[in-house]
Amino acid sequence: MKSRILAFSSHGDTTLLEYDPATADMEEVNKVIAEYEAKTGAQPFDMATGERLEKVTREQNEVLMVHPIAGG
Amino acid sequence: MLAVVNFRPGGTCMSPANLSVIALLALIEWRFVFAGLRCRPWVRAIAPQQQRHNNLLEEDLRISDPRGVAVIAGNRLENNSDGLDSLDRKDRAKRYLRRIVALTGATKTDDAYVLDVGQMRFHVRDRYVRRLRDLTDPGCAYEETCFYPVHISMPKAEEIATALLQLTNNPALFDKWAVQNGLAFKADGQLFTCAH
Repeated sequence: MKSRILAFSSHGDTTLLEYDPATADMEEVNKVIAEYEAKTGAQPFDMATGERLEKVTREQNEVLMVHPIAGG
Repeated sequence: MLAVVNFRPGGTCMSPANLSVIALLALIEWRFVFAGLRCRPWVRAIAPQQQRHNNLLEEDLRISDPRGVAVIAGNRLENNSDGLDSLDRKDRAKRYLRRIVALTGATKTDDAYVLDVGQMRFHVRDRYVRRLRDLTDPGCAYEETCFYPVHISMPKAEEIATALLQLTNNPALFDKWAVQNGLAFKADGQLFTCAH
């Protein structure tokens, strides 16, 4: 089963990345997530627990990148 | 195009049957050329759109060396076809909201989603959130602020889902939103600016 990183967008939910958790280089996955966060401010949340993640591991099957919110 | 030509002394001429074949072939060719000309503007109109989608994702994600271990879904947007039914998009957004409501333990009321985090209670609805700071204090009043996701105009259900997830993990975000200065904050409470 493949794991995926997704984000909400104006197009609805968007899959940013798919990988095989058994064989994927998780450093590479986290590098992509860090690049995405640097550009958009979105941070990863585990869709199984609803908790924000510092690092994505092989245990997460579905990760949602949650975009910043402003007040006003 | 082929044609059979009969040579006669003193000149050339074509049989009527051959002329008919030539006329028919010319007509067919003209039809293809005309059809091609008519299609081209559509091709031109679609190509920039596809290119734009590709560029957006390529701007968002760049892997220098995937080495086959982490595969970008290669410009594949689950809900990004130009012929996308917006109803389907909204349905998917609502399904995500239901999942996140269940994850966060929120409950749906008539006009909002009620979320308890510690002693705080939040009422989250479309772009507005109210907070009761202390559930146990009968004299505690509700405070209200508005919120909006930066960058993108996502479906309302996904906006609410985003707020629920963020408040569950970091209820202090409410105070940052309440300043209403238009500044955007990441889920961990850090200020986000485009300079990042």
